[in-house]
This record gives sequence, structure tokens and C-alpha cells, in this order.
Amino acid sequence: MSTLVEARRPGIRSLVTLIGCEAKMVVRDTAGLVVPLCLPLLIMLTSASSASRTTVDNGRTALDLYVLPLVFTMVIAIIGIINMPSFLAYYRRSGILRRLGVTPASPAMVLAAQAIVSVLQALVGITAALVVAFLAFGANPPANLGTALGVVALAMAAMYSTGMIVAAVAPSPNSAVAIGLVAFFILGALGGMFGGRDSLPEPLAEVGGWLPFGAAVEALSAAWAGATVPAAHLIGLGATIVVGAVVAGVLFRWE
Amino acid sequence: MNNAEPAILADNLAKSYRSTRAVVDVSLRVEVGEAVGVVGANGAGKTTTVEMIAGLRVPDRGWVRVLGLDPRRDRARLRQVLGVQLQQAYLHHALRVTELVDLYRSFYPDPRPTDELLDMVELTEQRRTSFDKLSGGQQQRLSIALAIAGRPRVVILDELTTGLDPKARRRMWNTVEQLRSDGVSVLLVSHTMEEVERLCDRVAVLDGGRVIALDTPAGLVARAGTATLDDAFVALTGRQLEEEPA
Repeated sequence: MSTLVEARRPGIRSLVTLIGCEAKMVVRDTAGLVVPLCLPLLIMLTSASSASRTTVDNGRTALDLYVLPLVFTMVIAIIGIINMPSFLAYYRRSGILRRLGVTPASPAMVLAAQAIVSVLQALVGITAALVVAFLAFGANPPANLGTALGVVALAMAAMYSTGMIVAAVAPSPNSAVAIGLVAFFILGALGGMFGGRDSLPEPLAEVGGWLPFGAAVEALSAAWAGATVPAAHLIGLGATIVVGAVVAGVLFRWE
Repeated sequence: MNNAEPAILADNLAKSYRSTRAVVDVSLRVEVGEAVGVVGANGAGKTTTVEMIAGLRVPDRGWVRVLGLDPRRDRARLRQVLGVQLQQAYLHHALRVTELVDLYRSFYPDPRPTDELLDMVELTEQRRTSFDKLSGGQQQRLSIALAIAGRPRVVILDELTTGLDPKARRRMWNTVEQLRSDGVSVLLVSHTMEEVERLCDRVAVLDGGRVIALDTPAGLVARAGTATLDDAFVALTGRQLEEEPA
């Protein structure tokens, strides 16, 4: 049968409106902002004082090379692996994705809006930590700013890709939080969140360096020191992005 | 678009959920500009039928065309011309009425103005109220505003006035009549015989997942040999038509 209806996807105006709505939802859910923004900041405050007095390499302190990379990675991981999937799971459980499914909005558009809002949240968290670190503890900027920015972008993509897997497999908002928390702590433990990776058994430390949390911490640390970022960490982050996108693409569902 | 094509054409639809046969055999044709009601007792297969027509569920058997478009294959094109009000309003709970209306308007190339939509469903005074602060009836009315935000040519209204008080119910009927006067085709799932009698050209009676009668309201009454459409429904199905609680 013939038809003259043009297949027009909603454009950039629609995406901007959706991003605005998602941002309002996040801001109005005040409790959801406390953990990703305040917990990493608190961890930094507890260790920044002594770390800022310990010079490690290239004029950079332990605060610059160990604490800040860890804090930034925590902010990105909490938002990407825990918060974003729980929002998407809530949308699915409450039927919001189903309601959007009968409009011209595509699943990709909803996911893109969520990812963009999550990036904005992470940038707010990272900026807050940076400002406190600079003003209160005399932290140094990264020796290689471009590399640091690139690694942050790559880490965000990798964490959100991991979060999309969580969103795809979690049957409910509660299970999304549970799966996200477990994933966060496993990745964090293997990535040095509870002490350096060198305190782990060697096989686990090796694996942790390839997984997104450890890879992001190590790559950021290298960027802050002005050293070359080891390829293994970049490959680990890149592979996470690809695997997450493929798995979520196959498994993600509206209902 | 080819005007000779019906607004909705469903042929031999069947759908089961595990061992439950929700829809056994439903065929339905809604002409352009026509309003067809779908009535049936709880579990008759009404919602599953409209969900297959809207492309939310894939039929186990049979096929659907809406203005000649396949709900699954032509999804992007169909969404431009089909407005759907689902049985329950599923919306971002923390967003305000105008924020939700503006969001849904943004999905369409030529949406109705926000003020016009709010006026149609009489939510102008609640424009700054968040969705979770609206009453059930107000949420329902907002859901209908969103269904017609994109100036659809076909609308599916599932339980349009369930849970609304009589005054709000009549307001929604006026809205549907306004849509009809604009040439919009309507598929209306209802528990209220007064509603389908007033709004619909024809009524399909579903029972046990099948269309057991499809005729004008007067035709159904004549066929059943009863005085009212309510009585005709009971005579045709052997069941009482009960409105679901709000």
C-alpha cells in the first residue's frame, strides 16, 4: 500500500527539550544528587590534607596523582553505573518508556538525553571537587590538560556504557540500584578504590587495570603526571564502550 | 496518503500470554473519519487488541494497518499520524503540566499550541502543577492532551473516561466530538455504553478474545431485541459490563 507520510524523527529541538526535562527530573530528585556529588568530595576531604603535602613526581603531589583521579572516577562511575540505570529502570517500570514508545521519540533519543544529563552531572561533581582541591589544598593542574580531558571523556563513555548494560538487564529500579552498586564496588575494588591496585593479588590487579574503573584512575594519574598513558588502559576503556553499546543495543527494551 | 485506505484495518489478530489466550480472533475496520467503540467485559481482549494496533505488541497471528502503515515496519511514519492514550497515564512524575505538554509537542512537526491543548482538556489552571500532584482525572485529561498534541489523523483512546466524574466525562466527550469534527478517526475502548452510543458510529463487542458483534449502536440494540445498548450487551455476551475502578 502506498502512503505519503514522511518518516520524520524528532530533531535537535526535541532532544534539547528532552534533555531539559531529564535535567529537571534529576535536580528535583535532590537525594539522588547527594551521593554522586558529595560522597567523592567527602573522601577527598578526608585524605587531601596529607596527600597534598607528599610530592611524588614532576612536582605533582599524591593529591594530584592518586586522590583526584580516584575522586573523579568515583563521580563518573556512581552517576554512570548506579544513577543513570536506576532512572532508566524506573522509566521502564513506571511505563514512561512505554508511553514514549507510542510517540515519534526513538529509544536512542531517550538514551542520548539520559547520557547527556549524566555527563552534565559528572561535570558538576568533577568541577566541585576540583575547585575545593585547588582552593583548599593547593592542588596542581594536570601536566597534560588535553590528555586529561580526553581520558575523562573516554571514562565517561565507558562508565555510561557499563551503566547501559545494567539498565538493559535490570528488571526493576531496585534491582538496577543493586546491580549497579555491586558492579561499582567490584570495579572499584579491582581498580584501587580501597587502596592501591598493587595491594591486590597480581592477576586481579592486572584485570583491574583493564576494567573501566582501574583504567580510568591509572590513565588520569598518568595525564596528571605528564606521562604517556599506557595503551592497556585506553584499550580497556575503548573495549568497555564497544561491549556496553553492543550488549545494551541487543538487550535494552521499552517494557 | 491514499484516502481509500481505511484508518485502521486489523485482520484475524491473535495474541496469547503463556497459556492465556488474550485475543483469539479479532478483525476490525475503521474508516477515515469514523469512530468505532470497542466494548467488552474485563479480560475480553480490548486492551491487547488496541496495543497490537498501536504497535506496542506483536500479534501471534494476523496483521494490522493504520492508514496503510504497518505498526512495526513503518513505526517512524505511523507515530506521526497516530495518537495513543494508554489505559493508565505513565509520565515523568516530577514534571509540570506545561513541561510535559511542551515535551510531547516537541516530538511532532506541527503540534497544537500548548494553550489550545490545555484549554481543550481544561487544565489551564493546573499548568504549573507537577504530574504527581494532579488528581486521577486530571492526569487522565493530561494524557489525552498528549495523545492529540501532534494533530493525529487517528487516535486510540483506551478507557477515555474511566475514573472521571460525570462533569469531567462530558468534557472529554466534547473533546472527542471536536476531534471528530476535525476529521480524526477514533478507536475508543470503553466500559460505558452511554459513551460509545454518544461518540461512536459503530461498536465492536468483544467477548473471550473475539468480536462477537460489530454494528451501529441502533443495529446492536435491534439485533439483541432489547430496549437499550446496556441490555443489548448483556444479551449478546451474557455478562454485565462493569466499569473498572479508578
